[in-house]
Amino acid sequence: MSEKNPLPVGPRTPVLLLLVVASLVLLPLVLPSATLATEILIFALAALACNLLLGYTGLLSFGQGIFFGVGAYGAALLMIHLKWGLFAALLGAAVFGALLALLVGALAIRRKGIYFVMLTLAFSQMAYFLAYTLSGWTGGDNGLLDVPRPNIEVFGHVLVDLADPRHFYAFVALLFLLIFAFALRVIRSPFGSTLLAIRENETRAAAIGYDTRHFKILVFMLSGAITGIAGALYAMLLHFAPLSNIDLMMSENILIMTIIGGTGSLFGSLLGAGAIVVLGDVLSELWPRWLMLLGLILILVVVFMRGGLWGGLAELGKRLRPGRTLSTKTKETL
Amino acid sequence: MQRRTLLKAGLALGALGSLPLGAQRAFAEEPLVFYGLKSMSGAFASYGKYADMGSRQAIAEHPQLLGRPLQYKVIDTEGNAGKAVRKVQEAIGQDGARFFQGCTLSSSALAVSKEINKAGGVFMTPVGADEITGKDCNLSTFRWSVPTYGAIRETLVPMIRQLPQAKRWYTITPQYVFGDALLDNARKVFAEFGVEHIGNSYHSLQEQEFSGYLTNAIAAKPDVLVLLNFGSQSSNALRQAVNFGIKERMKVLLVWSAGLDQFQELGSDVLEGVYLGAQYWHQVDTPLNKALVAATQKAYGINPNYPLAADYIGTKVMLDAIVQAGTFDGASVARALQGMRFQGPTGEELIRPGDHQVLKDYYLLRGKPQGQLRDEDDLAEVISSGRSFVEVDHTGCALA
Repeated sequence: MSEKNPLPVGPRTPVLLLLVVASLVLLPLVLPSATLATEILIFALAALACNLLLGYTGLLSFGQGIFFGVGAYGAALLMIHLKWGLFAALLGAAVFGALLALLVGALAIRRKGIYFVMLTLAFSQMAYFLAYTLSGWTGGDNGLLDVPRPNIEVFGHVLVDLADPRHFYAFVALLFLLIFAFALRVIRSPFGSTLLAIRENETRAAAIGYDTRHFKILVFMLSGAITGIAGALYAMLLHFAPLSNIDLMMSENILIMTIIGGTGSLFGSLLGAGAIVVLGDVLSELWPRWLMLLGLILILVVVFMRGGLWGGLAELGKRLRPGRTLSTKTKETL
Repeated sequence: MQRRTLLKAGLALGALGSLPLGAQRAFAEEPLVFYGLKSMSGAFASYGKYADMGSRQAIAEHPQLLGRPLQYKVIDTEGNAGKAVRKVQEAIGQDGARFFQGCTLSSSALAVSKEINKAGGVFMTPVGADEITGKDCNLSTFRWSVPTYGAIRETLVPMIRQLPQAKRWYTITPQYVFGDALLDNARKVFAEFGVEHIGNSYHSLQEQEFSGYLTNAIAAKPDVLVLLNFGSQSSNALRQAVNFGIKERMKVLLVWSAGLDQFQELGSDVLEGVYLGAQYWHQVDTPLNKALVAATQKAYGINPNYPLAADYIGTKVMLDAIVQAGTFDGASVARALQGMRFQGPTGEELIRPGDHQVLKDYYLLRGKPQGQLRDEDDLAEVISSGRSFVEVDHTGCALA
């Protein structure tokens, strides 16, 4: 029996986008603060980017923290020293993330399986110590302080004041929706189908004539760019870029969110990020060693809900409608 | 019947009329919420537990503040600077929080202090980063613990004076900002007193195995080995040094110890004869410390340790400043704190207006042998104490 997840099957694009919009509207209403909702969306972006690698290409990367940290430091430094505006800084973070992913990917993708994982781990450790050593730029252990959160301006006129947490949430939500739609378009394109083919059987994909290495580097860069944007948004949210952004724990957290949400489901990334961030807040108030509970939840999800929370919800939906079989229309392959 | 209706209507109107009064009364009794930033979970949970106990003890002394009930709320920083900042932002934005005390990590304290300053609140912290009362100081932030300069001078200088024959000193340092700050200050002291600094071994922040560094130190034949690391690293380095028989060959100084809880973990076999720098020691004979020890014994059945004492006095001083200012306005309370003199665990302490640093003693202790312990916490004796602080002009703080 194959240990791989089945080919992702999900609702049609408009239905999925409607589900995302509904979630984005509901999040700040059901959560205690817009700041918490913003943090969930930022980590959902990072998990979504990780999902492109793990869920759709079968690449288990422990290097996502590198791109998150570089996005945070890059955008912060551009805003602090070069006075770049909001969109330019986000674009800068995406470029930094993509370029670093190109570097890491070009080397790591030469190896497969456990060796690929070990290489991403090694890069992660290197990036951490580099950030630690370059304390003049990154603030070292103390983190990079006084990160601005620029407003949305046109010719010097403030259109949206992002200092208000609700406005910043709305901005991050809109950005999330755009990136989600873009990622959905990518994975439902021939490029995305090729990624799935690589995930299922790389040798066969190569035999058909695809340059699999080329495809893997491209998806690595896309993932790096999105994770870089997430890192930049996190630095803007906190007005601060802590060293923990770039450490191995960050990579692990992003991976856990992806797995708990459901690999091979973009909406699962939002579920995974929401579950981990909210559970962290709730469990930490109940028990100082709450990370053990989180570990237990991860084990349960991996053992009993291989499709993650999204898979669990889909299964529940199927059981509630036992007479209904999926039509070819709704069975659209992602 | 009509009369009854009239009476009922009058009663209803009376009740309605009393509503605004009730509402006003409820508003007047709305509690003031004081926020404790504690690492209740995660890697620093054991520190946060004692820090929280200290704050709770100070809160218990003030059931009311300026006529309003006092409520204490813990924000679990999870030993994660990002989480700490987000939760403080939430408390400020959602609940109008203004008064905060605590933080375990310097990175959390530095970032949190910026948010609290923007909101016009007040924050008192015991963290070690020099920047908190240095280049990143601000109007809202105050620090109780002695920075690296004072810790080095109040341990190295008395040892140099007490051990005139000790001319060769070797250091082991964690390679990051805090370790380098301690090392820089140590080098200045060595140069000032004509002591030879014969070598230094740097180790990474992840290091837990020190045999290589200790072998280098033994080979250099120093008179004194100075450990500039802290927390579990200093405990491991000290344990391994004892296993290597270093105590028989040279004096050992741990400049930045965590105090009683670390000593309890190490035990007297390891500590005997070792020199230890400490921010607080429960046996110090000052009026407030005696009261604190008695109250902690009564409340928790233990002697206070550093996190408990630091967060107790930080919380107490802030509450006293609110009473002194006679208002809950953050700026006014911060002004009341500037230049405030108070009885602290180390004696009379003063908040320096120029950088918001509390001027207090730092201690040099020496581990006692097992046979001389009067109780299980009598693990060290005070050798000397004193105050050394960089002049405000040299801190990099621009408040003055």
